[in-house]
Amino acid sequence: MDVERIKPYFPWITLLALVVAVGIVNPSFFDPLGLLSLVTDVVPLFIMALGMTFAIYIGGIDLSAQQLANLVTVIATVYLSQFGIGVAVICICTGAIIGAISGFVTSRLYVPSFVSTLAMGFVALSAAKYLSGQRALSMDATQRDDSFGWMFGNTAGVPHELVIALILLALAWFLQTRTTFGRALKAVGSGELAAVASGLNVDRVKMMAFAISGGFAGIAGLMFSVKLSGGDANLANGFLLLAIVAVLVGGTPLTGGVGGVVNTAIGTLIVMVIRAAMVYLEVDATQQQMVFGIVLIIAIALTIDRSKLRGVVK
Amino acid sequence: MYELRKVDKHFPGVHALKEIDFKVNRGEIVGLVGENGAGKSTLMKVIYGSYQPDGGTITIDDKAVRFQNPRQAMEHGIGMVFQEQSLITNLTVMENIFLGYEQQFVNFGVIDWKAMAEAARHQLKKVKLDIDPSMTTSQLSFAQRQLVELAKVLTLEERIDGDLVILLDEPTSVLAKEEVELLFQLVRDLTKRASFIFVSHRMDEVLELSDRIYVMKDGEVVDVVEQKDAEVDAIQHKMVGREVDKEYYREQKQKPYDAEQVLVTFDSVSLGNRYKDISFELHPGEVLCLVGTEGSGREAILRTVYGLDAPTSGSVSIKGEQVSRFTAKSGVARGVGYTPRERKVEGIVAGMNVYENMTLSQMDNYSSAGVLNISEEKSLARTWIEKLAIKTPDVYKDCGGLSGGNQQKVVLAKWRSGGSDIILLDHPTRGLDIGAKEDVYEMVREMSDAGVGIVLVADTLEEAIGLSHTIIVIKDGEFQKRFDCTPGDKPSLYDLVHHMI
Repeated sequence: MDVERIKPYFPWITLLALVVAVGIVNPSFFDPLGLLSLVTDVVPLFIMALGMTFAIYIGGIDLSAQQLANLVTVIATVYLSQFGIGVAVICICTGAIIGAISGFVTSRLYVPSFVSTLAMGFVALSAAKYLSGQRALSMDATQRDDSFGWMFGNTAGVPHELVIALILLALAWFLQTRTTFGRALKAVGSGELAAVASGLNVDRVKMMAFAISGGFAGIAGLMFSVKLSGGDANLANGFLLLAIVAVLVGGTPLTGGVGGVVNTAIGTLIVMVIRAAMVYLEVDATQQQMVFGIVLIIAIALTIDRSKLRGVVK
Repeated sequence: MYELRKVDKHFPGVHALKEIDFKVNRGEIVGLVGENGAGKSTLMKVIYGSYQPDGGTITIDDKAVRFQNPRQAMEHGIGMVFQEQSLITNLTVMENIFLGYEQQFVNFGVIDWKAMAEAARHQLKKVKLDIDPSMTTSQLSFAQRQLVELAKVLTLEERIDGDLVILLDEPTSVLAKEEVELLFQLVRDLTKRASFIFVSHRMDEVLELSDRIYVMKDGEVVDVVEQKDAEVDAIQHKMVGREVDKEYYREQKQKPYDAEQVLVTFDSVSLGNRYKDISFELHPGEVLCLVGTEGSGREAILRTVYGLDAPTSGSVSIKGEQVSRFTAKSGVARGVGYTPRERKVEGIVAGMNVYENMTLSQMDNYSSAGVLNISEEKSLARTWIEKLAIKTPDVYKDCGGLSGGNQQKVVLAKWRSGGSDIILLDHPTRGLDIGAKEDVYEMVREMSDAGVGIVLVADTLEEAIGLSHTIIVIKDGEFQKRFDCTPGDKPSLYDLVHHMI
């Protein structure tokens, strides 16, 4: 019983323990500037994870996020010269529309979300390859700075990237806790049948959840593209696993209904600390995904609500 | 030989079994009766190892045993014949019989089907079933499947040393009269091989078959009667613990409904093969009860009224307007509220608190431009917690942790507070204890007084008769008969059963 009571605090405890551990081994970890840059680096991942939270919160998953971000890096690079800052709208809409299609396929055609989003992810990947001609494209530096230079500035020492992340977090938090849509998400995640029997339009809620996930992946892709001043179909590779890990170690289980966007913020920080620790311990970059794969399995095993599985896992 | 002493079992908010003493002698047939929610199924689950008791001891031949799961219970000779049949229909009969125990027929990793068929035939002979063991199970009738299931349990005889205890959970519910006779004859013959625990809600059958009868009520064994002393009335009285009288169902509070106005009209409505050509009218203040056996189409009719299932022909009107769009959302908008049978899965959302559950169907009333007004939600919840005497520490309590009766009250509060005036109740008292049931009956009368039209699918026939103004009997999806149930002139159980089966 006690384990159940402290379960919601696991992510905080984990984060604190990791920070302390890493700090003891490597006191320079607490250097404020270093920390700030670590946190800033993780912003695009955080944004992708934030969107992913919505998909997982309703008991689904969005495996297309990374490919959507890939596609968006290409779109942003190709159309920057033509639309300027307006390309942001195209990027977000691309993500949201592809997400909504996944949501439609999931809710209306009864294709489980891990398959529908995986499939849509390949569609996006293929589109990215086609659009980029399989080349790494780069942005014109002047155009980039004119349109998106503000993203990477500083105000009073606070990087704008971080500000964007916090604004998006606040927005997502408001959506989740204060709106009818957020309540509907919780109902679908906790008890879909009861949500149906209460007259909620569950299909629409699901579609919107996936659209939001896609839209956030679009924002993440855009930031990434601007940051690296270019785009190609593999630019965001490696993000998917980390985004899912961030959501799950944050305490939003695959079965949905509990946790939420603030948990994902904690989860992202945990991922960040683990990554920093691995750099310090000189774990080879090629081995990092191995660690995160294992962390993911542990996080799922710890958070999943077994009573919702009804004994059947396939 | 098989004995439970002072066995206790708790669930969150429910004391499901209270110091149960229970005993089965060799070759005996023991009956177990009780109302829904009396604890019969919990007791059975403890017996066959699906639940572990919190207190007390289980002994076999005076040796204490403890089962972690049904398989361990089976290894001690306890077998279960399930009510909802547990055979896998796309496997053959013999595969089902030896499911999980195929190893005995395996040579060099390959199953010797001939040997298995032979062994299966031997088992089927025990239950006098002359079928080809290599038939696919789905080709069998329900009665045959029941026997296969029994045969499967009887394989324990060869597999373990010691005596067998076989649980029969409502084995007759899907059988025709003659099939019941055959089954009983068979069970009597089999007492030389095993003891039986026979669970049924059909009192006459329990009396006919059992040597001894345990009567359960509210998680306790209230009486044990020998067959020779057993009387239906006395047992029924003990089961219910009071006179099943007019008081119980609040008959004195049943007032005539407003026949001038119509809330719901069904005009020759059909839905595939679920139900055919159903017509009725529901009036304000009326309790209309759909009576029929399991699968007769009652639930499907409720779901059509609510908007979850669109009919294939006929016309449905709600408050004078013909319904063209069948969605739950539009049903709610028309003022229909649905209290599903699966309260924990469809009724409340476990994981959401009291106010979140109450406003789930009417969030638009508690929000502007999509932003929730949470303080109004809470005050609504407080009002209804008081009105319906819902037992909860506060409005933040997860509804999944409330007791069944209080969960049901939350569901009803959800609809009532949203102004629903057509309420569909599907087994509203299922699994509730007596006090909570009476609360529900009280609420039904209050709703009628307030001009709400109620379509009810009751948990028992007594409940149907006691509560309703009108009863419609349905069999195999077809209308059979309509009864007026004016207080003092209600149809009897026999009148209804006669048309049901």
